[in-house]
Amino acid sequence: MPLPEVDEAPLLARAFYRADGSASALTRSFAIAAEMMETLMPFLGQIMDESSIDLPTKELVIMRVSQLNGCVYCLAAHRPVALDADVSDSQLAAVCDLAGLDSLSPRERAIIAWVDQVARDASGVTDALVAATLDHLRDDQLVELTVLAGTITMLNQYCTAFQIPPPGGGL
Amino acid sequence: MSGLRDAVAEGIAEGRMGERLWLYATYHCNLACSYCLTESSPQIADRRHLDRAAMLEAVHQAQELGLTCVGITGGETFMVPWLPEALAEIGEIMPTIVLTNATLFTDRMLERLQPLAGRDVALQISLDSDQPSRNDEFRGPDNFAKVLDAIPKLLNRGIRVRLATTVEYQTEAELANLCTLHRSLGISDDDHVVRSVVRRGRAVAREMGAELGADDVLPELTVTADGAFLHPFAPTVRNGRTDLDLLVSRQTRPLDRAMSRFLQVTAGLPSGADVVRNIR
Repeated sequence: MPLPEVDEAPLLARAFYRADGSASALTRSFAIAAEMMETLMPFLGQIMDESSIDLPTKELVIMRVSQLNGCVYCLAAHRPVALDADVSDSQLAAVCDLAGLDSLSPRERAIIAWVDQVARDASGVTDALVAATLDHLRDDQLVELTVLAGTITMLNQYCTAFQIPPPGGGL
Repeated sequence: MSGLRDAVAEGIAEGRMGERLWLYATYHCNLACSYCLTESSPQIADRRHLDRAAMLEAVHQAQELGLTCVGITGGETFMVPWLPEALAEIGEIMPTIVLTNATLFTDRMLERLQPLAGRDVALQISLDSDQPSRNDEFRGPDNFAKVLDAIPKLLNRGIRVRLATTVEYQTEAELANLCTLHRSLGISDDDHVVRSVVRRGRAVAREMGAELGADDVLPELTVTADGAFLHPFAPTVRNGRTDLDLLVSRQTRPLDRAMSRFLQVTAGLPSGADVVRNIR
């Protein structure tokens, strides 16, 4: 998959590169389908930026789903973003090493239980799980959270399929 | 559509875009010129031609959008088997220039071109020198002889012929001799186009030509099988891959989608940013 530098990228894609001309490998991989970026990039911004759900919670979900899907790129790219968003090392360890969620708050555990079920087998969601999650989230937040989990799964599949190189090398 | 048509008219009036629609009929060619922008040759695996319906549809839609003329290029345009008949149809819609190396004009082909006589369709034939060896060095064996054979036959049939010369190495005297030659053939100075080699495509590897600056070419919507590009020097090929740096839109049908994005890209150009090098 070509990863064009800014001067090689289609004209419409260049707006999505940073002012200094740099861009993530993921963004650069999208560039050859520049028209798609016109809707995809604002969509990703809306889904992943802070909203009615705080940024640390979103980053926890992104890391958890990426771990479940085994996405090397997303895990490497989002670890520093999560730390910047005040996700702690112990929280990251809890969602990434799959060793146990005891260090998380009840709200965080409920959210992780929800996204685990959605990412692994959405058909296994029960009324009881919905109710348990809604003890901690409003219904609109549950909608957002579920779209976030699905979006991250899509990106995980994309990055893995195309072997998008993670920040710092690898793959 | 009327809003888009107004925007096109404004872009043309302000010198931010040209009024010609360019169509890349094919990337296939029977020659392999040393400075070819598209690495076209007889051997290319992926010929990437526009189909006839797509070309006619684009021309009709371009006219609705307010463009006034058509250019058809390639590759060698006459490698497309149905081109002569399509040209007659396109020429009925808008004035048309078709670029060709003029090496495929057998008597049968000339007969098929006869309907172009008297229509506003011009065949723009490449010829780079008045000296056969100099011309053929870059354009292939016997190219000069074939071109000089074809031009009188076309003119005698009442088909308009223009001449295009790509400049890289020619001396002033050589170009003057070439002008004497084309005048003697009945081609006026107005129908002789001279441009420099552009350092894209095959010319990059051979270190030929001039780098293309951002303001060197007037933007003109250029449709290929790979998408719509900023101008006819944009959809170049290097090492078998189409350069995407001047890609405007992957979607070319309907044409108004590509035109919207073309206008989006050209909106940032200064008014009157016509050309520095006048490459057209």
